[in-house]
Amino acid sequence: MLGRRGALRFLAVPPYVWLGLFFVLPLVLIVAISFRPETGPINFDDPWALSLVQYQRVWETESYLRLLGVSVLMALVVAGSATLLAYPVAYFLAFRARDRAVFYLVLLLIPFAASYLLKIMAWRLMLGQEGAINSFLQYIGLTAEPLDLLLYSRAAVIIALVYVWIPFAALPIYAAMQRINRGHQEAAADLGAGPWSRFWRITVPLSLPGALAAFFMVFIPTVGEYVTPSLVGGTEGFMYGNLIQDFFTSAANWAQGSALAVIMLVVTLVLVIVALRVVDVRRLSS
Amino acid sequence: MLARTHRLRAAPALFATIALILASCQGAEPQELLVLEWAGYEADDFWTDFQTANPEVPVDFEFGTTDADILSLMQAGSQADIFHFYTGWQQFYVDEGLVREIDTSKLTNWDAVPADMQALGQIDGKQYFIPWDWGFSSILYNTEEIPDGISSWNALFNEEYAGHVSMWDDGPAAVTVSAYINGWDETAITDEQLAQIEEDWIAQKPLNIHYWDSEYENLCPEVKSGEIWVAYAWQGCYADALYAGAPVAYANPDEGRNSWVGLYGINADTDSYELALQFLDLKLAELTCGNAVTLFYYGCANGDVMAAVEDPVLIEAFGINDPGILETTNFTPPVTAEQRDAWTAMWTRVKAE
Repeated sequence: MLGRRGALRFLAVPPYVWLGLFFVLPLVLIVAISFRPETGPINFDDPWALSLVQYQRVWETESYLRLLGVSVLMALVVAGSATLLAYPVAYFLAFRARDRAVFYLVLLLIPFAASYLLKIMAWRLMLGQEGAINSFLQYIGLTAEPLDLLLYSRAAVIIALVYVWIPFAALPIYAAMQRINRGHQEAAADLGAGPWSRFWRITVPLSLPGALAAFFMVFIPTVGEYVTPSLVGGTEGFMYGNLIQDFFTSAANWAQGSALAVIMLVVTLVLVIVALRVVDVRRLSS
Repeated sequence: MLARTHRLRAAPALFATIALILASCQGAEPQELLVLEWAGYEADDFWTDFQTANPEVPVDFEFGTTDADILSLMQAGSQADIFHFYTGWQQFYVDEGLVREIDTSKLTNWDAVPADMQALGQIDGKQYFIPWDWGFSSILYNTEEIPDGISSWNALFNEEYAGHVSMWDDGPAAVTVSAYINGWDETAITDEQLAQIEEDWIAQKPLNIHYWDSEYENLCPEVKSGEIWVAYAWQGCYADALYAGAPVAYANPDEGRNSWVGLYGINADTDSYELALQFLDLKLAELTCGNAVTLFYYGCANGDVMAAVEDPVLIEAFGINDPGILETTNFTPPVTAEQRDAWTAMWTRVKAE
């Protein structure tokens, strides 16, 4: 007979096996392949000779490193914007929606039901030369000609990604706000604190862990994003994720692609660790 | 007891029967096919004769995005019985033992394929590949925006068209265009020339609205809407734009157009060789080949089908009425693995810049 703890452990086996097979193992393979010297497709029959040549090539190619920097910056802008825009949404749901919170939450989750590609393609229609935004700008007389810069630019990538991430970012913030003890607010009000003071000194610090979780939840995948840039980014909106994709597909150079992926993973992890050290969440929220 | 003894006696006969059935099963080919294709080619119209002849045979498709991708999938042990790629990549498949020789005596439509097309699928005198779709690469341009016409591949680098240019997202194609413009031998590009090509394409980058990667998704719609004025394009998009009434023309550059041919090979490890042969044979049949021409605006290797084209748009798109078209056309030469790697790496640097 399995005890309660044993049963829990048993239940945890399938997800661990799943993660092991489809996350850890591929990750280990990517790392291993990144140390192979081939410039073309990998021949798995060849002996596994360790080589740093792929990393050396990345290091020697300025444009790759610059692109990583640009992608990190874009991810920071997207994550910051999505978190800031999601914050009032979460605030409304947690403190103002009251009985209708569930209804609004469902509304917030509706975009999840639509295909990601469909949403991005819709932005192409919005931002295109004959799209809704250009047509509106011309209709109100603000522009005489359609603006080229709306679609196929870095700005288009950022706009589309912020839009896509807002509902995701709102959820952890909302969860954090729901955990805030309403008694704090009442006590502060009793002691004479105004609404702004209560917001800045109680709501913001106590919801900060959720906001930070939202920020990183957006930041980490955005660094490696490649679908949105390829659809709305044009030549200017190319990101580091597209570079990795190119090496795995059009260049068929898995070793170089793996090295680029490992570098991105390490840089992203280091940035997250540094950020978490700099921002002491526990101190802020206490 | 008796019954048991009887069963024991019957056992060898039973085993023999099972062994016979298994042996006969081993000899029989699996009645299903997996085709490594390019997205879009899985459409029923592209293999309609085979479907009609074998309605019970399931045909599945897996997809590659580029020639390099398809080669790498085959190298990684793809289970596909048949694979589809383009000229310039034949030698890799033969050198690496990935392809099985084609028994052309079993192809009923083989005689309809012109001899020079057949030769494209031969290596060392052996027929490893079957040519199927073919076409041109050239400059497609908007005749309202560029009324004087285009006479050189250099139009892709013309700053007057900034923001309205679209180059194909492909390193080898970029090298080919530069080789044409500079008069270089594309099979012998030096490191210095490649560095120059990289610089040129980096300088050209801001002129593009985007690099296109899917002809009918992000090239033709924008050619027809007038957003793209000048593009590296295949004749299919030209025909599509003509049918839509768009003001377009397909250049005959002084340096010559480029021409490409799609080839099918049979996986060396396939268990369905005969079925794969039949699939390829019926790809060359008149209805299927005709569909490629009339529905998708690709040329097809069946010469009878091409000779029967009467639609003026298709005649224009394929240059059928231009007797000198082939004399001024550059056929895609084979590349080495080193060239392929260097050219694709060059293109990633251009895009990353």
